[in-house]
Amino acid sequence: MRNPFVMECGEFRASYKEDMALYKIPRVRYRVYAIIAFFAVFPLIFPEYYVGLATLCGIAAIGAIGLNILTGFTGLISIGVGAFLGVGGYTSAILTTKLGLSFWISFPLAGIVTAAVGALFGIPSLRLKGLYLAMATLAAQVIILFVISHWDSLTGGTAGMVLQRPSIGGYMLSSETGYYYLMFVILIFTAIFAMNLFRSRTGRAFVAVRDRDLAAEVMGINLFKYKVLAFAVSSFFVGIAGALLGHYTMIVSPELYSIQVSIEYLAMILVGGLGSVMGSIYGAVFITLLPVVLRGLIETLSVFMPGLEGVFAGLREVVFGAIIILFLIYEPEGLAKMWRNLKDYFKLWPFSY
Amino acid sequence: MPLLEVENLSLHFGGVAALNEVSFHIEEGEIFSLIGPNGAGKTSMLNCISGLYHPSQGSIKFDGREITHMKSYKRTELGIARAFQNIELFKNMTVLENLMLGRHVRMKSGVLSGGFYWGLAQKEEIEHRKAVEDIIDFLEIEHYRDQPVGMLSYGLQKRVEVGRALALDPKILLLDEPMAGMNSEEKEDMARFVIEIHEERKTTVVLIEHDMGVVMDLSDHIAVLDFGKLIGFGTPSEIQQNPKVIEAYLGEEQTG
Ligand SMILES: Nc1ncnc2c1ncn2[C@@H]1O[C@H](COP(=O)(O)OP(=O)(O)O)[C@@H](O)[C@H]1O
Ligand SMILES: [Mg+2]
Repeated sequence: MRNPFVMECGEFRASYKEDMALYKIPRVRYRVYAIIAFFAVFPLIFPEYYVGLATLCGIAAIGAIGLNILTGFTGLISIGVGAFLGVGGYTSAILTTKLGLSFWISFPLAGIVTAAVGALFGIPSLRLKGLYLAMATLAAQVIILFVISHWDSLTGGTAGMVLQRPSIGGYMLSSETGYYYLMFVILIFTAIFAMNLFRSRTGRAFVAVRDRDLAAEVMGINLFKYKVLAFAVSSFFVGIAGALLGHYTMIVSPELYSIQVSIEYLAMILVGGLGSVMGSIYGAVFITLLPVVLRGLIETLSVFMPGLEGVFAGLREVVFGAIIILFLIYEPEGLAKMWRNLKDYFKLWPFSY
Repeated sequence: MPLLEVENLSLHFGGVAALNEVSFHIEEGEIFSLIGPNGAGKTSMLNCISGLYHPSQGSIKFDGREITHMKSYKRTELGIARAFQNIELFKNMTVLENLMLGRHVRMKSGVLSGGFYWGLAQKEEIEHRKAVEDIIDFLEIEHYRDQPVGMLSYGLQKRVEVGRALALDPKILLLDEPMAGMNSEEKEDMARFVIEIHEERKTTVVLIEHDMGVVMDLSDHIAVLDFGKLIGFGTPSEIQQNPKVIEAYLGEEQTG
């Protein structure tokens, strides 16, 4: 067999199968297992409040991976994610409360319906690029929210709908811990699915469309098909994230899916790293926890400086904006890249220079 | 029956005719060269054949099928592969990934089998990886297989571009100035690759090249374009004696 040349020192792989593994280096593989094991026992160690936060982070991560498939990997910007989360949440809400379907059926259906809606709004992407595509997806955001808040008989209008948490085999997943595990399984599935996608034919075609669409077409890639497909696959995961979120908070209502949510998700993948599955997770955690940490900080400081709470609302937006700008300027490849740099630094340590 | 038939083809940009009623045909298994001064319309001709430009008049038949208005990606499925004059590689991707993309239409797995990976997609990846490694060996770029293409030298990028086109297992390989800007050693390597592609893989090759030595040595037939018009079509010896061709090339030398 061949002896692949540029590898980590001392790492040689004997077969293509090994060379194409997700985590090629055993040491890295064990670290991934260790991280998964840690989060598998997380609810057993930490108080409920933190488990709830982790659940929110995880759900956001599923949606962020979805968005990253479209924007990071395929290069198609979307500012309609908020509305697509809504489509997922409302689909599951309507199917479970109006049709009495089980969560386990409505949940995948929420993904499929959102995928179909996403594909529909992805059709203009053949002709529109960059800012123009952003405007088209903004239109999707506005149209979907308009329908949701005006179709009272189906969606309950501006009042929204109330949902239940699911049960499995008689065991209610209503506890924080139970729901955490539901999120955890689906997050792992989503992450592995996305990583696999991008080491095989379809994912490679997505990246080709992003990097050089002319060359992609000459490789035999049907641009229209793959762009619409990217919208569908991306929206599927955004949709199941929306359904998970709806059943977790037990409410869906139009103001939960505003354009601000779309911007937050864009911030997640920007901060985490465009075109990186792990980066989507880092970014989701970062953006979800940012207001929590800020609030904690302000509460602590307001002991010394009374009246500081009043500025929190404004401060949150300012810090949020500042962080996005800083990342765009100093580390456009996001947290995922910073993490790689850190690892490289320690790999060569103490000969870092 | 010829493999590729171009009939009465015209292409206009505004008022300018980049191609003007051009007709020629390419036989299966030959090396065919398209020559002519800069701006003669050679690249435009390849763009019409691979579906990137749409001719205003005339027809193109490939393998007995009318393809004049066929979508570009469909022509790839028929076995028309292309290496560009101005490198069009996926610069952030590795050599391997670029070549795997060259095999896109030869592979099948979709979103679901790709996402679940184990089973069909993995089997397919391994199988096609083997085909791609053969090309990597053939082009002697083993050392760079995991490097992002953008970091390679110009000459190597040209080679990867030919490799990516070859990865299709094409019936016809369109090479737009594959030796341009290379030193003589790199040029010799590329000429050798073209000969081997032709002899071992039995691929029909269309070559655009300015080095007359190379063109006369390699080609079975040559078409000469000048200002969008076909001024010569025949074997190398016929072309060398064609008064119009001689005039066009002498004219070029006089004007610099
Ligand atoms: N996309 C285009 N838009 C406008 N003019 C073009 C375009 N492509 C080619 N041309 C014109 O067509 C003519 C032939 O160009 P080209 O086919 O690139 O020549 P060659 O490859 O023989 O050097 C030139 O006059 C060029 O300016
Ligand atoms: Mg040219």
